[in-house]
Amino acid sequence: MTEQGDSATFAKIGVVAGPELAAQIRQELAEWLRQNLLLDPEKSSDVLLAVYEALANAAEFAYVGAPQPGPMHVRAAYDDSAARLTVTVTDEGHWRVNDNDVPNVARGRGIPLMHALTDRTDIDSTASGTEVRLQWDHVAQNCGSRTT
Amino acid sequence: MSSQPTANGDIKQSRVGDISVVSVSGTVDMITAPKLEAAIGSAAEGAPSAVVIDFTAVEFLASAGMGVLVAAHGDLAPAVKLVVVADGPATSRPLKLVGIADVVDLYATLDEALAALQS
Repeated sequence: MTEQGDSATFAKIGVVAGPELAAQIRQELAEWLRQNLLLDPEKSSDVLLAVYEALANAAEFAYVGAPQPGPMHVRAAYDDSAARLTVTVTDEGHWRVNDNDVPNVARGRGIPLMHALTDRTDIDSTASGTEVRLQWDHVAQNCGSRTT
Repeated sequence: MSSQPTANGDIKQSRVGDISVVSVSGTVDMITAPKLEAAIGSAAEGAPSAVVIDFTAVEFLASAGMGVLVAAHGDLAPAVKLVVVADGPATSRPLKLVGIADVVDLYATLDEALAALQS
């Protein structure tokens, strides 16, 4: 539902961090990409995999030890002046990178994948949670679809 | 292969001589990676000379699935060789990007994998 001149956005806020919703968000993001942007098959795959890896990290590591999983938030925005796609995946938990007793995020390939699949990956972990920002440049908008 | 991609990883096992083939379709992610692990274990039980993981019909492969491949490759060696068939942006590209193709032999088609293993 974008009008001419608006930048397209996608948001899933306050979703319970977990594998099922990570898979569902991937499918919904794929549809949003198809409707709003013009991505070749390689870039589309790159975006969906990088975003999924960020979701998977939140699902697997953010709330280890918590009585129940907390939320994860996904926002995707296309900046048409910069031809840049930015996807942010945020959680409010604690990734454990130094705890040797539990499988930790550093042992997996998710973070190397994110760096390899994006033009820019920034991971900012604080006491209140982690934000992963993924960016792709030179992304074209799909101006052919008009939905109201 | 005419199977329609499914939301969950659909896994079939077959045998070509003394080589076990594990054919996967659809999605290999956090949810379905354990099924892949179980299928590889089952395929290895028949004491094959090699296990071929065929991702030709996989439309999404996450690091959870890649970890299963690498772990199985190490566990089965040296008695059983594990190789992967994958082609395309969703499978062979990320496998190459994170260096798994340097550790586990990667072929673009099942025919190429079988030819290499049987030579």
